[in-house]
Amino acid sequence: MACFAAFSFSMVISILTGPLAIVIVVSVVVGLAMVVLFGYTSDQKAIGIAKDQLKAHLLAVRLYRDQIPVVMGSYGKILRGTVRYLKLAFKPLLYVIVPITLLMVQMDRYLGQTPIPVNAPFLLTVHFSSSDALNDATLALPSEIVMTAPPVHIAADYQIVWRLAGTRDGSYEMNINAGGQSVEKVVCVGGGLPRISTVRLRGQFWNRVFSSAEPSLPENVSIESISINYPDRNIEIAGYGMNWIWLFFILSMVAGFIFKELLGIQI
Amino acid sequence: MKGLWSARPTRVVLVALVFLPALAHAYAGPGAGFAVLSSFWAIFVAFLYSFYALMTWPFRQLVRFLRRRNAYGRAKFERVVILGFDGMDPDLAERFMKEGRLPNLAKLRDRGTFSKLRTTFPAISPVAWSTFLTGVNPGKHNIYDFLARDTNNYLPFLSSAEIKGPKRHIKIGKYSIPFGKTQIKGMRKGTPFWHWLGEAGIFSSVIRVPVTFPPEKFQGVLLSGMCVPDLKGSQGTFCLCTTRVSDDKFREGGVRVPMDRKNGVYRSYIPGPDNPLIEKGGELRADFEVRPDLRAKSARFVFGPEKFALEVGEYSEWVPAEFKAGMGFTAHGICRFYLKGLSPEVEVYVTPVNIDPGHPDLPISHPVTYSIYLAKLLGPYATLGLAEDTWALNEHVLDDDAFLAQAYGNHEDREKMLFDALDKTKQGLCTCVFDTTDRVQHMFWRYLEEDHPAARDVPHSEHPQVIQDLYERMDRLVGRVMERIDDDTLLMVISDHGFKSFARCMNLNAWLHQNGYLALKDGKSESGDWFDDVDWSRTRAYTMGLNGLYLNLKGREKQGIVDPAEADALKDELWERLSGLVDPASGAVGVTGVFVTDEFYRGPYTENAPDLLVGYGAGYRASWDSVMGKVTRQIFEDNTKAWSGDHCIDPRLVPGVLFSSHKFIEDKPAIVDVAPTILKLFGLALPAHFDGKPWALASPAGDR
Repeated sequence: MACFAAFSFSMVISILTGPLAIVIVVSVVVGLAMVVLFGYTSDQKAIGIAKDQLKAHLLAVRLYRDQIPVVMGSYGKILRGTVRYLKLAFKPLLYVIVPITLLMVQMDRYLGQTPIPVNAPFLLTVHFSSSDALNDATLALPSEIVMTAPPVHIAADYQIVWRLAGTRDGSYEMNINAGGQSVEKVVCVGGGLPRISTVRLRGQFWNRVFSSAEPSLPENVSIESISINYPDRNIEIAGYGMNWIWLFFILSMVAGFIFKELLGIQI
Repeated sequence: MKGLWSARPTRVVLVALVFLPALAHAYAGPGAGFAVLSSFWAIFVAFLYSFYALMTWPFRQLVRFLRRRNAYGRAKFERVVILGFDGMDPDLAERFMKEGRLPNLAKLRDRGTFSKLRTTFPAISPVAWSTFLTGVNPGKHNIYDFLARDTNNYLPFLSSAEIKGPKRHIKIGKYSIPFGKTQIKGMRKGTPFWHWLGEAGIFSSVIRVPVTFPPEKFQGVLLSGMCVPDLKGSQGTFCLCTTRVSDDKFREGGVRVPMDRKNGVYRSYIPGPDNPLIEKGGELRADFEVRPDLRAKSARFVFGPEKFALEVGEYSEWVPAEFKAGMGFTAHGICRFYLKGLSPEVEVYVTPVNIDPGHPDLPISHPVTYSIYLAKLLGPYATLGLAEDTWALNEHVLDDDAFLAQAYGNHEDREKMLFDALDKTKQGLCTCVFDTTDRVQHMFWRYLEEDHPAARDVPHSEHPQVIQDLYERMDRLVGRVMERIDDDTLLMVISDHGFKSFARCMNLNAWLHQNGYLALKDGKSESGDWFDDVDWSRTRAYTMGLNGLYLNLKGREKQGIVDPAEADALKDELWERLSGLVDPASGAVGVTGVFVTDEFYRGPYTENAPDLLVGYGAGYRASWDSVMGKVTRQIFEDNTKAWSGDHCIDPRLVPGVLFSSHKFIEDKPAIVDVAPTILKLFGLALPAHFDGKPWALASPAGDR
């Protein structure tokens, strides 16, 4: 009995501190925040009227179903009403999209991929700006990262791919030397919820905002990007694994629907 | 470049988001999700409905064709539009037409018909409109007044509908949870003529015709009118929330609710329906608070989730009023607030809580979704049968302007409903009744004549032209309707009765008492309401309601003493003594006719009819006390209430109007003829039980 209780307790703790708990909490908070933000930034009265008009035209289709001109007229009004409703939802949507997108980008750094498991092979892919740079490129590894196979040069794609493995938990810097310049790429090994950057890029500001968690590569280096193939993280629910973003989508929608009712906000 | 970017930040963000990697537009938060879901859901449902309607339309048409064989084949018109202007008076209409005030009605008169329309006995709206819609006399539709009497206890009940809670309840401790539906029994008998139209495949839109509650099924849409109760189940109970300390009670139609002050905030409540979960649990309440701003002469209101500001003398929009009984039971209503004053006392008037048309707790339309449809399309609207709060004006809770603002607010909503119905009903019947004509004439007749007791404090030269404005407004409405119809549409404007002054009240119970027909208990010279202190063992006749006079008949009334064999003699005696009764103060005839109902009511419900109808003379009417079964010392007295015009008098003096866009050949049209006329215009056979006779159209104007 004591063992079962201890097991249950540890399960609850692991759920509460695991990615599922984080996604649930963030979804509920985001659902609430978005509904409130939508409420403040939208013309609530106009949205209410637009929705009511849509419902009225839907009911007209039913009430006057034997009168085809009325039905067709109502159908046209429904389409026009939908456009009007979407226009009204557009402005608050913009306010909602910006913070939520930035939040999701940050959350994806933690929840999108898992670290490389200890002793599991992974690929480090370096993309150069020309095939010439491939010839003198070298890789310097910390002692916790080992090379498990010779590098593969893909001249046609200006790429070198190293097959590596981590021997201990932690975050490590790997140095790529090319054309007399040296740049670093961090790799996360083990478990937990470290902040993961799958790729380090040169330039490409918007791409870096959304895809990379590391500083830009120097402009004078011949390397375009350095990427690691981290495994995707699946969150298990009732034996079914799914990407956190779907779970977030569903839960924040549910939370939003609940909060909009509680707060009396028209969406 | 900088200017471009800073000037159009939203565009920049939008462009960035559109062209950025997948994560950015994979999901844009609940807002986007809701927007997309909501709009596409609407389109999807609409598409399904439309698809269903389109796919099944030919089959339905075929079935209709086989069953009804071309419904409009023998119709003289594609469409008939009936505008009911409750109480429009033919004499006033004629006078105002002569003065050039009513150009559109004059056009109808010149091109088609203008005539007096004989009303029912008695000339009371629920009676007359019931006859209009059934085509029969009151003996067949069972409506003789607003009120009927219970012969067991001499108490009144609403004649048109009976509302009871669900039959079964589950008791859990102090709670009694209702199980099942509220029982609503329509007391009006007879079949509305739109039922026969529907049977023949002719569609009808029927808006606010009186005595259509509870709504009955037929092929068409209907919004119930007069006799729809408020959320309390009454015919309209307003609420005056006030800091003024007073023990006075309103005679009828309203309650006074105290308003408490704490930290500069005034709190009060609106009384709602009785708690359905607890026996004798009292009424439910909806609290609100008022934060006055004396400088701005305005106040902020917080009422549930609603927050709004009103200036003194301003109405709110309709706001939802929810009365929570617990365990998930909530009664849904709507009401309007009116800020009467802030200094020296804070006073807020609240309209009777109407059944919420968008969330009706009782069926007020057919189909049920029709009231919801109108609420979604036009916004919330008054659903109470007697929506214009005449009691509040009578009790000086509202002034003239506030009453008119309320009445015309309702009227505008009704106009919108009419025009929507006209748009939707290109074939068939479209009928809408406007009550404004009746209410405004009731309340403002005092300004139409020189020396009305209710307006003696206002010099005649300063009398506002309220009734003139009313008729002009109705005329403009007729004009707008005429613009929307073609020659294949017959337009009729009718009223159920006319109007006359109500300057003097007559307490018929007092007359019966003083003439030995009604006895009070020993030592009493007056009775309370509803015959309190009446000695039934010595009473031979009594009156309640507006025109009905009843014998205390043995075997019918619980404490009846009049032998049925002596009934006719007693009726004759009363007829003789009351006919031509003179008001000693003025020398005018107070009662111009007494009518023995046996002689003109025919049908299965005549046993519920009054034995006699009293026809008051012009300028006279039953006093409010008499209506409420009270015996006073005085028989005749001045009427000083704002309710200064009336029609519950000798029906021969208050015919209604008939205007039509096409000429009818009929010398003495009556309201009972309307139903058979409409059926005939659509080429249908007339039911044998009809009492009315169809009017003939003058050729060739009506021929198609």
